[in-house]
Amino acid sequence: MTKKGVLLFCFDTPDFKYHKILEKCVLLIKRNLKLEVTVVTNFETYKHIKPLGFVNYKFIEPELGNKKYGLEWRNVDRHMAYELSPYDVTLVMDIDYFPFTDNLKQFLDTKYDFLVSKNVHDLTNRNSFDTRKYSMIDMVWATVFVFRKGKKAKRIFDMIKYVKQYYSYFMDLYRVVDRRFRNDYAFAIALEQANGMITYDTLPITLPTLPPDCRVLEINDEGITWQYNDQVNFTKNQDVHVLNKEVANV
Amino acid sequence: MDIGELKRQSDLSYDISVAKRNALEKAHARLLVVYNEHIFRADAETINLVKTLSEVHPSPFYVLDTNDNPVEIAEPKLFLKTLIERNQEAISSYHQMSKTFGKRVD
Repeated sequence: MTKKGVLLFCFDTPDFKYHKILEKCVLLIKRNLKLEVTVVTNFETYKHIKPLGFVNYKFIEPELGNKKYGLEWRNVDRHMAYELSPYDVTLVMDIDYFPFTDNLKQFLDTKYDFLVSKNVHDLTNRNSFDTRKYSMIDMVWATVFVFRKGKKAKRIFDMIKYVKQYYSYFMDLYRVVDRRFRNDYAFAIALEQANGMITYDTLPITLPTLPPDCRVLEINDEGITWQYNDQVNFTKNQDVHVLNKEVANV
Repeated sequence: MDIGELKRQSDLSYDISVAKRNALEKAHARLLVVYNEHIFRADAETINLVKTLSEVHPSPFYVLDTNDNPVEIAEPKLFLKTLIERNQEAISSYHQMSKTFGKRVD
């Protein structure tokens, strides 16, 4: 029987208690996706995580050095998802992607070896994620992706590792403006290279995303209420990717 | 109408516009359905295609998934039922949400 599950990466930093975001995410996965969960973390983070029922933990020491807005950003280890996943088919999600629906679950039942989305929807309707002009390559959103273990997926992850190793070269090659290490670009470049510089199969979802300047006011079982300037709005029974890390304190 | 009332109406229109756009995105997300290990969009185009093919072409027939890969449809009735159920689930949810937009204006 094919083993399916969700793989999450979570490392606290001196600035943000990511484990608090993880706790919210895992509860929603259990409630809505009803899949087994494996969390890749380090012991320093693990000891702060409250009991979440049955969850597998894998311990690694995160690679340091990447920064975002001058703050430590522990996002570099995603390339190890293939080796770290105990599942035949794995859904990898950012912990700030809150699954308020079961929409993602069905994508573990396809024949595809590797699926990632290229599209994002700004929930404030400002279209603030139009990244196409910032590089020569169409970026993917490594926020959510699905892979099935096998030769093809392994080849893609090997390529991701190669891109990561020579990241600055590939940033120059594809004229990427953002010089920080971003999984989104590493995955996009690896997919293009591994697929012979032509198009590749994608996950046809549009990630509903709340920009970082939105303050989350409330999270409940069904959705999120947020504030942007003097506007308050909400989602109900809709997945949400929250970029403001203060959501940890809501 | 004073300027304060105009601003209130403008803010309300903005809120409704954002909520409507997000509700539509929610419906689009729900329209995606996996059948026979492939991903389809349970929209009007897919439903019409499958219904037409099931009426005028012997099964199995072949359609393209969201990645333009061909898929054999051996059980058209079951596929059509799946598409219609998902379509109406998504659109009726959007309809429920859209009714609240009208209430906000009232």
